[in-house]
Amino acid sequence: MSFKSSGNSGAFAWFYQRITGIFLFVILLLHFTIMHFTGTGEITYENIVGRLSDPYWKMLDLSFVVFALYHGLNGIWMAIQDYVRSEGWRAVIYTILVLVGVFLFFLAAVTLIPFGLK
Amino acid sequence: MKATFKIFRYDPDKDKKPYYKEYTLDVEPNTVLLDVLNDIKWHYDGTLTFRRSCAHAICGSCGMTINGKNRLACQTLIKDLDTSKPIKIEPLKSYPVIKDLVVDMNKFYEKMFKVKPYLVNDNPPPGREFLQTPEEQKLIDEAYSCIWCGCCTSSCPSFWADDDYLGPAALLKAYRFIFDTRDTLTEERLRIVNDADGVWRCHVIFNCVEACPKEINITEYISRLKLKVVTSKL
Repeated sequence: MSFKSSGNSGAFAWFYQRITGIFLFVILLLHFTIMHFTGTGEITYENIVGRLSDPYWKMLDLSFVVFALYHGLNGIWMAIQDYVRSEGWRAVIYTILVLVGVFLFFLAAVTLIPFGLK
Repeated sequence: MKATFKIFRYDPDKDKKPYYKEYTLDVEPNTVLLDVLNDIKWHYDGTLTFRRSCAHAICGSCGMTINGKNRLACQTLIKDLDTSKPIKIEPLKSYPVIKDLVVDMNKFYEKMFKVKPYLVNDNPPPGREFLQTPEEQKLIDEAYSCIWCGCCTSSCPSFWADDDYLGPAALLKAYRFIFDTRDTLTEERLRIVNDADGVWRCHVIFNCVEACPKEINITEYISRLKLKVVTSKL
């Protein structure tokens, strides 16, 4: 059996790369507007606490992390599949990518979820 | 005018490794490169080997890399090339070289046949032609003008990295039959291209479009195939 990406053909990976791409584009526009143009995004402790005590902001930021991680790591995985032909190395790299994803998501979750909660 | 042609030479029976040989000769600006190669072979160096047949951009035999770009020698005019420096002529990249500019196309053909490059229709013959509307015909109008020259697949970085990849020519051929309303093998064809070495290895690099001597927008058709795969129940 050959070791392939999520789904066995690459259709799933291709489709969700596009979906996450669109989501990231929209959310980045939102991010830039808030951080750089509307002036409400000034980085002070009060400002951040205020925003992150809102569960909707938490959810948005967490989904940002999830989509960014999927998009980035899936992109690396696609490039790996182009150049790494050995099934063994593919399995090793795939495992590393999944672990990196899980670890970074964990870091983001433990930072975001309790932040601003009293 | 004088022009110099720097041609890739390799005879596996004689040469340890490939080398480039330069030929300088008088050429007319409106001459096609294939005529120059014939001139060299017939009058200067009979050992130069290359493929050619129709000389009218229909057979696809004389695909080669000219100044770094894959094209047909028979439709490349000398005046369209930079003659201020030697014109570099090489065999199509990523196919094994048999001799000089002649490459082994077997792997390319294997992929073409993998996608079943022929019309399949299990319905009883209607007693006349299978009719299509002009709109249905338009879907495949450009895609069926492929001449199997192999310029696109040879120019594809995904194919350089992974020669199991079907490649743009085979995917274009798959498109041509999947989007042909007269063909009934659609599902099986979609399964063939829906593979890790199929349509998903295309990363929209557009080299194939640039290389195609028939100016087919191959990347566009591969993208339509991807969409068709994800929206079909397979």
